[in-house]
Amino acid sequence: MRTVQGVRSSRGESGTWDASLTGDVDAFVDIFDLHHNRVYRHALRLTANVHDAEDVTAAAFLELWRRRRSVRVVDGSVLPWLIVTATNLSRNLVRGLHRYRALIATLPRAEVADSAADIAVERIEEERIGEEVRQALGALSSADAALLALTMFEHYSPAQAAAALGISDGAARTRLHRARSRMATALGRSLVGDCETTTKEEPR
Amino acid sequence: MTMLEMDPVFTAALREVLVATVDDTPRVRRRWRWRLGAGMFVGSTLIAGGAALATGLFSPPGAPIDTPIGNVVTVTHTGPATIDLGPPPARATDLSLTLTCLTVGTFDFPNGSSMSCDAADLSHPPPDDQEASEVVQLTPGKDSVTIDTSANASWTLQAMYVNQVTTPWGTNARGQTYGVQNQKGTPDLIAVVVDQGKTQGYVKAAELNCAAGGNVETPAQALAWDKASENRNISIPVYESDGTTVIGTFIIGHATGPNARTVPFSSLSLDCSATGNGPAVNGP
Repeated sequence: MRTVQGVRSSRGESGTWDASLTGDVDAFVDIFDLHHNRVYRHALRLTANVHDAEDVTAAAFLELWRRRRSVRVVDGSVLPWLIVTATNLSRNLVRGLHRYRALIATLPRAEVADSAADIAVERIEEERIGEEVRQALGALSSADAALLALTMFEHYSPAQAAAALGISDGAARTRLHRARSRMATALGRSLVGDCETTTKEEPR
Repeated sequence: MTMLEMDPVFTAALREVLVATVDDTPRVRRRWRWRLGAGMFVGSTLIAGGAALATGLFSPPGAPIDTPIGNVVTVTHTGPATIDLGPPPARATDLSLTLTCLTVGTFDFPNGSSMSCDAADLSHPPPDDQEASEVVQLTPGKDSVTIDTSANASWTLQAMYVNQVTTPWGTNARGQTYGVQNQKGTPDLIAVVVDQGKTQGYVKAAELNCAAGGNVETPAQALAWDKASENRNISIPVYESDGTTVIGTFIIGHATGPNARTVPFSSLSLDCSATGNGPAVNGP
């Protein structure tokens, strides 16, 4: 089960987030620096290319600020909320990004040599789940995909995932069971075994 | 294996935008309340800069601009439908579509993209989570737009012909192009926002690329570059559009620990001008 990581200040993520809510710029940047690569890697699992994943990550953090008053903090961390939001944005690029499209379009990106790009692609392939899994996740509802992502890839417990989505623990377990069954139909039994292994660690 | 990380240039620019957004939010609100309360209607430069950035209105050269042509057609419908928009005006290049879901459902746009709304989306105040916009290229001879959805899904569509022009990059006295990256490629000077959103300027594409490790050519160089970057950020100058007047710095990197330091690009012996040479991996 994931535990909350510290940030560079001594107040921990929970205190840093509280400071962000008061308009503390440095605190919000700390939150960004703490989580942006994890959100990006998660977006890469769900989108077709690097640029889409970057766009999703940008939109997730802009949404984190815009909706900061209603963000669900799980065990002191906003990462579960970011993962859920990135999941929704990845599945609904047109709607999710339209608010920020013009802004994101002005952000520069590195131009890398072809050989360096190949290196990057190799790393992405090592990090990414297969195309089959991405398509299988795409066939689930947003909430079910987020539940699976939080528990299967980010190793949160069902209770923590439920808190991130604002649903009851029992509802999360029921939905997880159904979502795993659908994934099993799409991918075979092995992945389902992985899911079960992961969630056995959950606290009761 | 080195963990995959987001493009450092994009990350640095996004960090600046977030800083500007956070920094402006409370002050904008307070000032507006105060000014409106005093019966005044004045936009300060702070508000103009912050609001423009936050809403994406900052449009340096090279950004696309959509100019509306003709009337807005608004239609509310349940189920799939094809809406006749009439013939496009002569200068129209694209169609701007804004779709609002009124019920739960998935709604497919003409270009293959789609939006979906669930009960949670509908529970929020409109239009935050019920609206999607898309600009689609016109198809010659086609004067209608089709929204595909299930029979009981309701929606409202606003459609408008627009003329989309990708503004040209600027060119300074030294012949350098400046603006944002677009489908034409990268200008010599790339637009950035720094100083908590208060400064809009340009960085040299060559310096930006080099400072981001753009000349890394082999896996060994990539690993060495990553290791050197663990505790090092690199600052590059931000210029006016003339490419010579320095007005700020743009910092690339994510080093934040106690050993983190920011070094100026000029202090690194990076040779990014010649192809085939990887960048030096150790800074001072």
